[in-house]
Amino acid sequence: MRSLTLLSVLFPILAGTALLIWRPGDDRLRNRYALAAVFAGGALVLAAALCSFRFGADAAAFRVGALSRHLVIAFRPDGPGLVFGAILGVLWPATTVYSLSYMEHEERKNLFYGFFILSFGVVVGIAYSANFFTLYLCYEFMTLSTLPLVMHGMDGAARHAGRLYVLYSATGAALIFICIVVFCRYTDSLDFALGGILDPALIKGHEGMLRTVFVLAFFGFGVKAALFPFYRWLPAASVAPTPVTALLHAVAVVKSGAFAVMRLVYFGFGCALLRGTWAQDAALAAASFTIIFGSAMALRTPHLKRRLAYSTVANLSYILLAFASMDAQGMQAGLLHMVYHALCKITLFFCAGAMLHHNRFEYVYELEGLGRRMPLTCAAFTVSGVALIGIPPFGNFLSKWLTAAAAAASGGWAGHFGPAALVFSAVMTALYMLGVVVRMFFPLRTAPALPEDTREADRLMTGTLIFLCALLLALSLLSAPLSAWIGGMT
Amino acid sequence: MIPLLLVFLPMLAAAAAYPLGQREGRGINALLCAASGLELLLALSLLFIPAAAEAPGICGTGLHLTGGSLRSVMCVLAGFMWLMTALASPEYFAGARCNARYFAFYFWTLGALMGVFLAADLLTLLIFFEIMSFTSYVWVVQNETPEAIRASETYLFIAVVGGLTMLTGLFLLYNACGTLELSALPEAAAGLSVPLRFTVGVCLLVGFGAKAGMFPLHIWLPKAHPVAPAPASALLSGILTKSGVFGVIAVTCSLFSGAEAADWGRLLLVPAVITMFLGAFLAVFSVDLKRTLACSSMSQIGFILTGVSMGALLGGHGAIAGCGTVLHMLNHSLIKLTLFVAAGVVYFNVHSLDLNDVRGFGRDKPMLKLAFLSGACSIAGIPGFGGYISKTLLHESIVEYAEHLAEHGGNALPYHIVEWIFLLSGGLTLAYMTRLFYILFIAPKPEHQHQKHGAYMSPGTASVLVVGGLLMPLLGSTAHLTMDRIAAYALPFMRMHPMEHAVHYFSLTNLKGAAISITIGTLVFLLVGMKALTVRKNGAERYRSVWPKKLDLEDLVYRPLLRLLSRVGHFFARLIELPGDRLVNGPGMKWVLGLGRGLARLIELPGRWLVNGQGLRRVVGLGNALARLIELPGEFLVNGRGLRGMIDLGTALARAAETLGSMLLFTPLNLIFFRAERSFAAPEDDEFSRYTTRSERGRVDRSFAADLLCAGLGAAAVLLFVTLAH
Repeated sequence: MRSLTLLSVLFPILAGTALLIWRPGDDRLRNRYALAAVFAGGALVLAAALCSFRFGADAAAFRVGALSRHLVIAFRPDGPGLVFGAILGVLWPATTVYSLSYMEHEERKNLFYGFFILSFGVVVGIAYSANFFTLYLCYEFMTLSTLPLVMHGMDGAARHAGRLYVLYSATGAALIFICIVVFCRYTDSLDFALGGILDPALIKGHEGMLRTVFVLAFFGFGVKAALFPFYRWLPAASVAPTPVTALLHAVAVVKSGAFAVMRLVYFGFGCALLRGTWAQDAALAAASFTIIFGSAMALRTPHLKRRLAYSTVANLSYILLAFASMDAQGMQAGLLHMVYHALCKITLFFCAGAMLHHNRFEYVYELEGLGRRMPLTCAAFTVSGVALIGIPPFGNFLSKWLTAAAAAASGGWAGHFGPAALVFSAVMTALYMLGVVVRMFFPLRTAPALPEDTREADRLMTGTLIFLCALLLALSLLSAPLSAWIGGMT
Repeated sequence: MIPLLLVFLPMLAAAAAYPLGQREGRGINALLCAASGLELLLALSLLFIPAAAEAPGICGTGLHLTGGSLRSVMCVLAGFMWLMTALASPEYFAGARCNARYFAFYFWTLGALMGVFLAADLLTLLIFFEIMSFTSYVWVVQNETPEAIRASETYLFIAVVGGLTMLTGLFLLYNACGTLELSALPEAAAGLSVPLRFTVGVCLLVGFGAKAGMFPLHIWLPKAHPVAPAPASALLSGILTKSGVFGVIAVTCSLFSGAEAADWGRLLLVPAVITMFLGAFLAVFSVDLKRTLACSSMSQIGFILTGVSMGALLGGHGAIAGCGTVLHMLNHSLIKLTLFVAAGVVYFNVHSLDLNDVRGFGRDKPMLKLAFLSGACSIAGIPGFGGYISKTLLHESIVEYAEHLAEHGGNALPYHIVEWIFLLSGGLTLAYMTRLFYILFIAPKPEHQHQKHGAYMSPGTASVLVVGGLLMPLLGSTAHLTMDRIAAYALPFMRMHPMEHAVHYFSLTNLKGAAISITIGTLVFLLVGMKALTVRKNGAERYRSVWPKKLDLEDLVYRPLLRLLSRVGHFFARLIELPGDRLVNGPGMKWVLGLGRGLARLIELPGRWLVNGQGLRRVVGLGNALARLIELPGEFLVNGRGLRGMIDLGTALARAAETLGSMLLFTPLNLIFFRAERSFAAPEDDEFSRYTTRSERGRVDRSFAADLLCAGLGAAAVLLFVTLAH
């Protein structure tokens, strides 16, 4: 059982590396290999999550080794970790199925699938890491292993996106490094512990400095979660192939940032040190501001994938806002929103990808009347778009509600700014999503007719979309038990 | 169980309606009537068994539903409206596009609407309210004409903004008092501060008022109702707007009590009165049949909201206002059902709604004429019809409050003004309805009026008109028997005591109000409707549209404002990100890089000068010179005379040493052995002499002599050394 946890991290890394070395020339062979590897990896991840769920996190923990007293490499899928792991374990295989169709005519597929499989293991490593050192290690490795995916197109825009990605990630990593070093000074062990790991005796008199370090690290991890002013790489990265944008830039990479912030707040510094201080206000204000900023930008961005990217900027800050409220309800709300936003946004990106791949539609004004030609894709877009707004029957409503409640409960001006930002963002989301949805089904008469060869996406793509929508609906109906379970682990 | 059935049965029917509606025929018609009829029966049963139900776990907190009182009345009304429109729909939608979509959303909206009326807590109410907004959007856009698309967008936008404002209000409320149960709210809300209660109230009022068509959020209503299919217009106007009113009532009676209730009533009265008058005023100027009816709906909603605010002002004893509100909701639904279905009949015969095209359509159609007349009389408040009863109650409530104020020394003037606006609006109602009736049924027909072949309406549609047309005089003439009881049944929901004494509807004082309205109405009809708005030429009439097209709140204020806000938001967002943008993409990065490069140059300059320029050469030269200086003695030594001299010296010394050594060591031995050899060798075997020449022999001899000498010297030296050593 312990080795299951290690395998779920190690297997995809090895399988991806093997593909990079092997470089098969045959498409079918490689596709089969990629499918098998990712599904096996997904099964391992879910099995590890199940083990931890069934027998407790300690039963599934695995210690790889130690470089020094502090620098221990170990994996332990605890509650939040297995939530994140389960998201990855379900969505990575789904994305692979989708990309079989999407990447059909692309070049450098060996490279793509190799790094795609490899980064699966790395991100799972972030989810399952047991301490800050392992987290940091995987986090850095993630930047490197996903860079070839961002730059896959290898044209000017892709190279620019890759450059931005590295530039920003390196900045963030520098800030995080400071935090890790400070941790080593004020604690005996970097292992995550709910309530904080800092030694109360050692930190006496250094609280101010530690809060400053927290804010630095918050922004450091916030780079991956596209916190203002470090959001810029995310809209630029929408030039990557859609499976990458959908999975990495709506789920895996960006959620890793949010997840790491959660570790930082609840399992690192501890709420007691931060709650009610200027550090909390700074975090809340930054998140609220990013929410407003992202939504306002999305409304006036006509490029569909970039619009969705700006929407992701806003939605990630919902999660950060929840975590920055620094109480049990905030953690519950943030993890819940991670689940629901992941499902919505990946579906939306897949729809955008289907429109792009089959019909070369990139801008929202090209989509008028598409509902009749691509009914399934547009229906999926509608369902997930309405869910993204947070219209009640969907789970996003609950997560946003809890987020707002948690932020308001944290008090202060920043705490009340948060719910206001949420409401503003909900209006904006309604405008920028419904504006597209309405035009898809009810085109203006003045709109140019769609090209003759406009057609519905193929079966692999629509199948993935249907699966994800069904999952979203099912989880929305089960939102109460899900939120109760997540609430129970805090 | 019944409430859950009421909500989820239509949703199942929606799933069945989509495949069935793909083609016309008995299947879909049967489904329409069966499902709506079943709903009506279920709703009726709710009148007698006020049941509560719960669907736990859905949307976090679960759905809580409960029946009884006003909720049951509204459910019955909804079921009735749906059944009636189901009867009229097959004819209206025959041959139209996308029927399946319409029918699916038709049922879906019914389920959501039932959920709104049955909701036991505000969150459940909000959930169903939002679903209803989205599903009824499809009704408005159904025809997909440019006007329909534009109107539906406005509808959707107002609904979304209203819904989110409501959500904000609910959030504030929940955050403050921890419950949203309607039954528990009055006690929980009593502890809240007054400003918070009013903030929450206004937030909720925006949401519910938007759906009801309250000023200034009414903009969608006069546009959305005319473009929707007629049965949908009847539902939108007849019952969907009532869901908003229902919400306003729920907020009023659960959030406010005592002195705050009176404040709230005053706050609500302003938009209510404006809506009441503005709707009627707009309706007078309209030249579109359905638009007139839509503006009329807005005006009637204003009447109802006035009743709600009077109820709040009068407090627990405002039963008269409460009854008026409930009954006017009921009446207005029935009236608009009849009128919109009649308008639908006109539309699918003439294919136009312009009053100039449809005039005289009903001259030879007595059934249509009577039904329309019944609706018109009722809405205009002609005694004997249902509308008269409810309007009388509403009027009485204003009068009663004005008297109450005068008795307690308050300033009753505003309420007298409200009373007069009320009567004036009633008069305008009569005026525009008379005008519609005149144009449809009395004015001469234009020459080429389109007319459907065969019967002008189906039995289903006819039955709707008959039922609707008959119900109004029936209810109006048996007010004490029917309407009073319905009102009394609904009162507990509004937390009002039952009426102390029955109202004499046909007493002189009550008839006086109606008489004033009728007089005003007749005057307006004759002077404005017949003179100012009608042009007569060669015996033909033309109805002028004098309302300036540009004078539209939506186009003048809302859309530009929204555009402006969106631009401003984007501008500031850009402004904020500009520094970062400049830094990363634009010249900023170049500047930073340039600066860095400059600094780097500055730092490396000495080194560079050193490496590439004169510096190195000089250093090398210097080094070279030094090296030369250092190596010079050595070189001199090695290459020059020095070495040669030394070698010569060495050679000489070595020679000397060698000579000395050989002299010392070898000479004696040589001497001895050579001599010995010479001495012992046979003379004939003298190899030496045989192989050596004479001169050689001579040299040997000489060297022998030298050897000897050396040996002697050496021996002497050794001896000397040994001697000296001792």
